[in-house]
Amino acid sequence: MKELDNKNTLSPYLIVFLLSLLILVIEGSLLGVIFTRFNMPDLLLVLVTCLAFLWGEKKGIVLGLLTGLLQDLFFGPALGFFALAKMVVAYLAGITAREVYKDQLAGPMLVVFMATFVHEFIIFFLRLIFWGSSGDLFYLMDVLFLPKAVYHLMLTIPIYSLLYHFDQKGYFFSK
Amino acid sequence: MDQSARKFFIFLSLIILLLSAIHFTGDYRSRYTFAEDLLLAGLSPVQGFFSQVGWRTYRFFEVIMDHNRLIEEKKMLQKELAARDNLHYQLVELQKENYRLREMLDFKERVSYELLPAQVIARDPSQWFETITINKGYADGVEKDMAIVTSEGLVGNVAKVSRHSSQVLLLTDSRRAVSALIQRTREPGAVGIVEGFPEEKGYLRMVNIPPEANLQPGDTVISAGLGGVFPKGLIIGHLLETGPDQYGLLQQATIRPVVDFNRLEEVFIVIELMPGRQSDNEDEMP
Repeated sequence: MKELDNKNTLSPYLIVFLLSLLILVIEGSLLGVIFTRFNMPDLLLVLVTCLAFLWGEKKGIVLGLLTGLLQDLFFGPALGFFALAKMVVAYLAGITAREVYKDQLAGPMLVVFMATFVHEFIIFFLRLIFWGSSGDLFYLMDVLFLPKAVYHLMLTIPIYSLLYHFDQKGYFFSK
Repeated sequence: MDQSARKFFIFLSLIILLLSAIHFTGDYRSRYTFAEDLLLAGLSPVQGFFSQVGWRTYRFFEVIMDHNRLIEEKKMLQKELAARDNLHYQLVELQKENYRLREMLDFKERVSYELLPAQVIARDPSQWFETITINKGYADGVEKDMAIVTSEGLVGNVAKVSRHSSQVLLLTDSRRAVSALIQRTREPGAVGIVEGFPEEKGYLRMVNIPPEANLQPGDTVISAGLGGVFPKGLIIGHLLETGPDQYGLLQQATIRPVVDFNRLEEVFIVIELMPGRQSDNEDEMP
């Protein structure tokens, strides 16, 4: 992880850390009150997947761990729960990005759509392993996985466009 | 070892490390570490602020959208309040009589409770865990497993405590179960287990009810107080439908909880008082 030693690389992680804090606080309080009866999109997952897609699997792992641990701290049943799910998703998104053009939206949209299913499946199995029950998988796919994946697919358009723009301008890592 | 193999090895090691972290920090942990505590303490007022903004926004739109319904509801509540006032005086008389009779019979004091009000400042947005965060922590005397209630009934219990906030596990979370009985019969042998109902969001399920238990739709379900976490007699909900379980040996029932878990704004933490130490309210009683 040579990039991590470079002093230019410190600020992007700090930016993502602060952005994740803001997302978690707003999702849990403000949006949590207004949209209680609806499925809430996981903005953190979209952010991490898009950034891992742009930056590759190595930085993706760090991002997944960092944001997942923060989510664990606020809402997780144990430390490592969301961190594991987000780290795996970011790693896979980073690997996939090698084969896909980054300047077209279709690639990240498809990756975020698939990443949502992988993320939710990991949470489902972790719950099953550690707490013995997770609910009916087909029911959850219908009411939770699919609606979330569709929300995320749509959210990827503005979020990825913005992140791609900032990345190209060198706001995260100097080009 | 080439670079991609090394990367994959690090990735696998991290997975094992995180699985161990989940195992060791799961249900056994009641407090946070110092660093976590510091971060949560700093952000708890921010969460409280955003939560209040959320509630104000929700109420603003509620007034606009449901104007006519709210006027009707206000009229109905005014009538109900007048009827409740009457009931309240009767209850105060009965309570005084109960105190006198208990003194005459030299009954031991029952365990009493003090209610500490708390504001709900966050809710798990992932939909995987039915948890809320409240703005009271161990600095306010909150401890793990304390029961959480509203004026309607039982909400859940404290799962983790930080300095100025606590995570509360709601009754609807499938990781928890509460022993319960039917208020109408109060049969000691007819205790069932109330748990979350993942397939019916917002409802609860009562299982392991003995086949001879007398159940009727509409019956009120209360906590049995057997697990040592929840005090006996807290209202959980009303029976909707009953029937045999999947093996046909025991009964099960669907419960409509009295608490709307989606609209929790303020709750009370039940702090158990030792016999002999009564709360301020009870001191006022003759």
